[in-house]
Amino acid sequence: MAQLTLDGVTKVFDDDGEDVVAVDGVDIDIDDGEFLVLVGPSGCGKSTTLRMIAGLETVTDGELRLDDSRINEQSPQERDIAMVFQSYALYPHMSVKRNMAFGLEESTDMPDDEIAETVERAAEMLGIEELLDRKPGDLSGGQQQRVALGRAIVRDPDVFLMDEPLSNLDAKLRAQMRTELQELQADLGVSTVYVTHDQTEAMTMGDRIAILDDGELQQVGTPLECYHEPANRFVAGFIGEPSMNFFETTREGDRLVHPAFEYPLPDGTAASVGDGESVTLGIRPEDVGIGDIAGDHAFPAEVTVVEPMGNENNVHLQFTAADGDADDFVAVVDGTEIHRHGEGLAARIPPEKIHLFGPDGTAIKNREPIDAEADAERAEQEPNGA
Amino acid sequence: MSTRTDPRDWLRTARETSNRRIALYALLTGLIGFFLLPIETGLVTALKTNDAFVATLPYVPPGPEGFTLRPARTALAELLPKMLNSVVLVIPATILSALGGSLAAYGMTNLDWKNQLAVVVLFVAGIFIPYQAVLVPLSRFWAIVGIGQYSPYAELVELIVTHTAYGLPITTILFRSYYQNFSDEMLEAARLDGASAFSIYRNIILPLSLPMFAVTMIYQFTQIWNDLLFALVLINQPAAQVVTQGLANLGGGIQTQFNAQMAGALIAAFPTLLVYIAFGEKFAKGVASET
Repeated sequence: MAQLTLDGVTKVFDDDGEDVVAVDGVDIDIDDGEFLVLVGPSGCGKSTTLRMIAGLETVTDGELRLDDSRINEQSPQERDIAMVFQSYALYPHMSVKRNMAFGLEESTDMPDDEIAETVERAAEMLGIEELLDRKPGDLSGGQQQRVALGRAIVRDPDVFLMDEPLSNLDAKLRAQMRTELQELQADLGVSTVYVTHDQTEAMTMGDRIAILDDGELQQVGTPLECYHEPANRFVAGFIGEPSMNFFETTREGDRLVHPAFEYPLPDGTAASVGDGESVTLGIRPEDVGIGDIAGDHAFPAEVTVVEPMGNENNVHLQFTAADGDADDFVAVVDGTEIHRHGEGLAARIPPEKIHLFGPDGTAIKNREPIDAEADAERAEQEPNGA
Repeated sequence: MSTRTDPRDWLRTARETSNRRIALYALLTGLIGFFLLPIETGLVTALKTNDAFVATLPYVPPGPEGFTLRPARTALAELLPKMLNSVVLVIPATILSALGGSLAAYGMTNLDWKNQLAVVVLFVAGIFIPYQAVLVPLSRFWAIVGIGQYSPYAELVELIVTHTAYGLPITTILFRSYYQNFSDEMLEAARLDGASAFSIYRNIILPLSLPMFAVTMIYQFTQIWNDLLFALVLINQPAAQVVTQGLANLGGGIQTQFNAQMAGALIAAFPTLLVYIAFGEKFAKGVASET
């Protein structure tokens, strides 16, 4: 158990004499026992960051600290860190028992019977005690996954690193393992850095999420912070499924002008936007109201596609005034609310729930805060975000 | 694909197929005969008296009066002590060249250091060195080292070292292509598990490369067992002669004894055959997984 600090961590790869910056000055503090999820699209540098923490990649610039002592120069063998790989990376010729014991044999001088006991305990915790004498090749994907986890657990390391450990599992098993993994991490209380490209995993598992894009840290915050108060347009679009709707507009006076509509600027936001400046208007699909609505913030639209999910419907819409060539947008409505293709209705973009992003993508205004007290209460009850 | 079926079409197809089949089997039988005939000829010649050899066609088995085991006994008497020398040479040289190749390949594939490629290129170049080109430097080298003077069997040590050295390039490249398919993540996992570079080799790489060991060891065994060139250059003492030299001795003399030579050739080839039979399955596995 330990606190891990990334201080301006940078990785520059040399690609035939050309410098390629994979990770650019990332600052993150991972508290003792915290579950931090590193999330971003593929190629954003999240795996490289993880590999630097593991010691599998050198750190070009910046500092890695474990409990305030610098570990940049330590080899992977010297760092007390265990990692779960996407491919599980089990040793195919060793039994499950040997796979799990190997790390203890190599890194400690624990006596054999104690190692055996530790392995048994971990296997029991993961429900794989009947598999101990089997070889990895005889196991299913889910079982291999558990062995890989077990191999990390027995080490009782300072930090767990997980590199998309669930991405090779089928959807049902993935959802189940997600919960199990969280419970396990909460029980063990080991600081964990979890890398994924899946925003659902990030939202559901992390105490905090760190969002990376193009090697740069975009935002670090609790899942709800990132969802409701994204720091920029990238985070707003990346977190949430279906994605936030964006409309490119220009501010003209007290209105945001879009080819299909003119949106009255809410009070108090005019000051932060220059006149004539382009502004991106963002609204979450579930905040778009559709139906027979009138008012300043409602605009006529037509249904193009309906995706029924059972509990809710994703309704794809297009503004009538756009003549069919403007952006599609999505509204999420209750599953009992039926809409049909080609149906004409009004879409309301409620002013208290809009996000505004400046020309450089930074958030100028986020939606009005959700009930902050309830949020704090939730965090208190579930310190591990479970 | 046409769904229409004309009976005449079907008949023609059947006839064509069976014709093709017959041609195929005829070709296969011909090839089998082509490959087996020399061996059969060798075998029957080894069992014929000199008179019978002169009087009959080479591949015709001997009649009762032409049959003899004498050439086999002659060959055996000549070859047996030399086969022992060969065993003393081949076993360590095979193991050492396979082990060395495996270690070198590990160092050049799974460990990371500068200018690795240049060294790999050197190894590849090593495969193409013609043995004839190195005979003089080789014999000069061992004359300077001079261990041959202490015991006739020290010359076998020279031969072991030489074969190991010249076997390394090919075994290294074979192992290297095998190790390149190993999962990087598995080796990284081992490093995170705290294993040192050597411990990773011993506990993970080595057990996983047994099929490739079968391939390189069969290959090296055959190469070294059948080598005459290095033996002729490095072994001067009759007591240290190897089996290929014994076989060459059988060919000498005033009158060429074809039957004894044939018997000797079969006896000399026997151990390599045994090795193939014993490790053939692992060999096939190794070759299959290499690609």
